[in-house]
This record gives sequence, structure tokens and C-alpha cells, in this order.
Amino acid sequence: MPSLKPLRVSDQSQTESVTSTMTERPWNVIVWDDPVTPMSVVVVVFRKVFGYPNNKATQLMLTVHHEGRAVVWSGPLERAQGYCVKLQVAGLLATIEQDA
Amino acid sequence: MPGRLFVRRRDGRIEVRLNDAARAVAREAFGHVLAAEADPDHEWHASLNSPIDPSHDVDDPLATLSRQHDVTSNVELAVATLGEDFLNDAEAWAWLCTLQVALRATITAKGLMSAERLNEADEATRDYITTLQTFLFGLADAM
Repeated sequence: MPSLKPLRVSDQSQTESVTSTMTERPWNVIVWDDPVTPMSVVVVVFRKVFGYPNNKATQLMLTVHHEGRAVVWSGPLERAQGYCVKLQVAGLLATIEQDA
Repeated sequence: MPGRLFVRRRDGRIEVRLNDAARAVAREAFGHVLAAEADPDHEWHASLNSPIDPSHDVDDPLATLSRQHDVTSNVELAVATLGEDFLNDAEAWAWLCTLQVALRATITAKGLMSAERLNEADEATRDYITTLQTFLFGLADAM
């Protein structure tokens, strides 16, 4: 059985940081449907903003169209905000929310 | 406006085939976006400043500034290239973003956020929306 040695301060800090990162819920970038935006525009925007391939961009667009909204990206808050801003700059109705 | 309005050429540029009347519509849309970004009383201003995180009263100011900067950069590039016969990728993206911002701002300002409300809109509004959609269809297909 391996012996347990006390953690040094730097180890504790590192452990807390890792634990915090692991338990922090991700932020979702949501795109909402509207009655006027052409589907092809949404696909182009997803390809350009996220670099998604055409089939993934199309699938996400169809989810927005059929379900009224889609989670198009998940991850840390700052990046989620950045993506949301890019989508809004491209004229899409986008928001962020923390994963439930 | 028969035929395709935007065509990808073999050299990579996008040819703009809008006539004078169509360019006038685009000019008006770009002008409204530019004005709305700067004028809090403009009817499109709220649409250009929709919340990023609706669970908070105020969004992160850096994110808000970034959005203002990018919207303004796009619309300025779109206005500067309005008379061009060919667009590069950055210019085409600026046109697409600005036209789409104008389209969504139009329906938001007029409360037309559902298909039912859209059908009840006056003819001039529906024509304007259809024209912007036609531009966007053409541009997205060329991109």
C-alpha cells in the first residue's frame, strides 16, 4: 500500500483548481429560431464562426428550425460569450446559459 | 432582379449583380444599421443590443463593446464596398452580417417574431423583408 504524504501548498492549489474546473458546469451558446432568417444564412454563419463542417452546421440549423433553439457550442464562460457575440454580430438571435 | 444576384467567380471573388434599385435598398439597410448602432433612440437600436446572458441584468461590458466594434466594422466595410462589382470574402461576410442584422432588426422593431405576426404585417414591410431575404439567399449561396 503506497504511503500517503501531505500535500504541499502548491499541490493543494493545483488540486483545487483541477477540481473546480471539473465541477464547473459549462456554458451553452443557444441559437433561437425566428421566422425570417434564411436557412442557408444560418449554415454559413455556423461554418464561419465555429469552423463546423457543412453537415454539422446543417444539422444544427435544422435543430434550431424544428425545435425553436439549439445548443451550438458548450464550454467555458469567456469563450461562450465570445461565440455569442460573433453570432449576434452576424445577426442571429443568440444567448448563453449555464448548463443545468 | 432576374438571375443570380451574387456569383462566385473562378478567381474567388464574388460578383455583385445588383441593379441600381437593389443597391439603393442595400444602402438604406446599411445606413439604418450604422445609425442604429450610434443612436439609442433608433428603432433598431434595441435589436442590436439584445442580451447575451438573459439571466443577468447587465451583460459583460467587454463583450458588449466587442459586439459594437464588430457590428460597426462590418457596416462600415459594407458601406465602403456598396458600389463595387466584386467582393472578397471579408467584404462578402460584412455584407451578409449587416444585411442579416438589418433583417432581424426590422422584424424585432415591428414585433414580427412569429410567422403569424409576419403574415399580418403591411405590404411594404413584407416587400422589404422579402428583398433582404433575397439578397441573403443569393449571398449565402455564393459563400
